[in-house]
Amino acid sequence: MDRTDAELSSQQVDGQTAVLRIGGEVDLYNTPQLKEQILGLIETGVRHLVVDLSDAEYLDSTALGALIGGLKRLRERQGDLRLAAPRPRIRKVLEITRLLNVFEVRESVPEALKDWGARGGKA
Amino acid sequence: MGRPRGKGVMTTAIASRVELKIPSRAEFISVARLAVAAVAARMGFNYDDIEDLKVATGEALTNAIQHAETTGEATDKDIVVVCAMQSDALIIEVRDSGSGFDPELRRQALERDELQEGGLGLLLIESLMDKVDFKTKPGKGTLVRMTKRLAGS
Repeated sequence: MDRTDAELSSQQVDGQTAVLRIGGEVDLYNTPQLKEQILGLIETGVRHLVVDLSDAEYLDSTALGALIGGLKRLRERQGDLRLAAPRPRIRKVLEITRLLNVFEVRESVPEALKDWGARGGKA
Repeated sequence: MGRPRGKGVMTTAIASRVELKIPSRAEFISVARLAVAAVAARMGFNYDDIEDLKVATGEALTNAIQHAETTGEATDKDIVVVCAMQSDALIIEVRDSGSGFDPELRRQALERDELQEGGLGLLLIESLMDKVDFKTKPGKGTLVRMTKRLAGS
């Protein structure tokens, strides 16, 4: 695989819950990798996905599209996708694209891992 | 692949324009983003405005490249990015040679469905820049002209 500016890694918390960490920059070039990771996790049975954005520096519209795609798929399966700890620049992009109303955004990964029953499907 | 250099962008006395020609491929988007950031930094834009310019440039290029891919047009065509430096503003032009697209249709699609993935790029460009013009002519490609004013001017 080509060396890119994005670092993607995931960690399974339990059978249905995982944290996907995005570091660096994700744009049209490496969005396919992000999509693949999300789909791979859903295929293994993950229903509750936290996307850790604390080290993400840049997400373009195609990366946001990949996250929206993941959210749609998880909601179809009574799951949800939450965003954790976006930096101010990424928060600004989420705000402009009105995605703050679409995704549940929490301040940290531990916060995002709480209360899955509260929204987007009863766990 | 050459890295854009911070130094040297404006060393010639009459340099008020930087032109970059890149292949219509995703891996070159970040090159253009960095070049625009370097020009903007030279002009004295603040951090936030430089980031805005990077995002808008990236989205304009993404539009051009994605469109060429979805219409099956040859992706070996170049995209030209022009940074026109003015005393109070930076104008970024992104010109492709594809068949063009209708920004209004994309906007309408986004209005219909908030989970619609297309159209986000246009929304970003229009929100982050002070002025945006699209010019599309059948067979002549698309020109996106984005203006960002220097803060305080």
